[in-house]
Amino acid sequence: MSVDEFDPAIERLFARAPSFPDSAQFEAALAAKLNTSSRFRTMALSVAGLVGGVIAVREVLNVDFNFASSAVSASAGSQPAPQGLSMAGVDAAQAAQSLLDRLGLTGLDMSAMGGMQMFWATAGVLVALLAAGVVKLSQEI
Amino acid sequence: MAKPLRDLHDVELAALSAAGGRREFGELVRRHSPAVRGLLRRMGAQAALADDVAQDAFLLAFEKCAEFRGEGTFGAWIKRIAARLYLKRRSKDARYVAEIENDEVAPSVDSAGRMDLDEAMKGLTEPERLCVSLCHGAGLSHPEIAAAINLPLGTVKSHVKRGLDKLRARLQSAPVAHGSASHVG
Repeated sequence: MSVDEFDPAIERLFARAPSFPDSAQFEAALAAKLNTSSRFRTMALSVAGLVGGVIAVREVLNVDFNFASSAVSASAGSQPAPQGLSMAGVDAAQAAQSLLDRLGLTGLDMSAMGGMQMFWATAGVLVALLAAGVVKLSQEI
Repeated sequence: MAKPLRDLHDVELAALSAAGGRREFGELVRRHSPAVRGLLRRMGAQAALADDVAQDAFLLAFEKCAEFRGEGTFGAWIKRIAARLYLKRRSKDARYVAEIENDEVAPSVDSAGRMDLDEAMKGLTEPERLCVSLCHGAGLSHPEIAAAINLPLGTVKSHVKRGLDKLRARLQSAPVAHGSASHVG
């Protein structure tokens, strides 16, 4: 603001807040919005945690099952590798490889990683993306 | 014994709000909402939109209370948040295009021939009103206003100067309604 634009009388008028007859309603409406937003955020985070937990538990049970079945099959002398898990790993590796190809990173060979490592790396990335999405969503609400 | 909320300074209330204190934030709302609502109306927002944006500004302020460190006043901080939110909302709202074309409106005076600032502001064109209220109401500098509303700096300065000249002329021609008996509905 330049000196000739400074006018104490105008400044005083701007500094004085008008009074609103519905101030109480405004404050009540704001408090209600604050409560709703907080409740929604708590619910969204709880649901995200629950979903994440269920997925994690399911994966752990899956791994145990496959390990158990591989142990059984190994003892029977038929299948030497945990098939279910390695298949999932291979699928994830293929998906990731095609994504890298599309991004022009064909030189990066995902098949060099073990199937299980690839599966968990992909799962980790997906969980991180999901968590980032939830956090972003909760900040916007 | 804890001090009553009304005895706490804004900075203390903001710090308590940042820790999740709803009652403390409610006190800040009670203290500053009239100024924020008034500013948004002076910027040209209709009453319902002004209140909506003011509520959003306070919700955002509650989220970001930890960022308020008391360098300026809480009132100035929340007014800047509200002004920027309104500008963002306005730029999204195509209806504003019709509004900005509006020419100045003759301000009205009360039965005693007095005029308050809000009435006098009605006599400004929309860009003048916006620039003057952003400058004197929200405390934005001319370059900040230019960046916020995407106008050349020189144009912003002209709007502010012309707007202030008109305000002075209008307020001098009619005695100012002091004491803010100006109940805004």
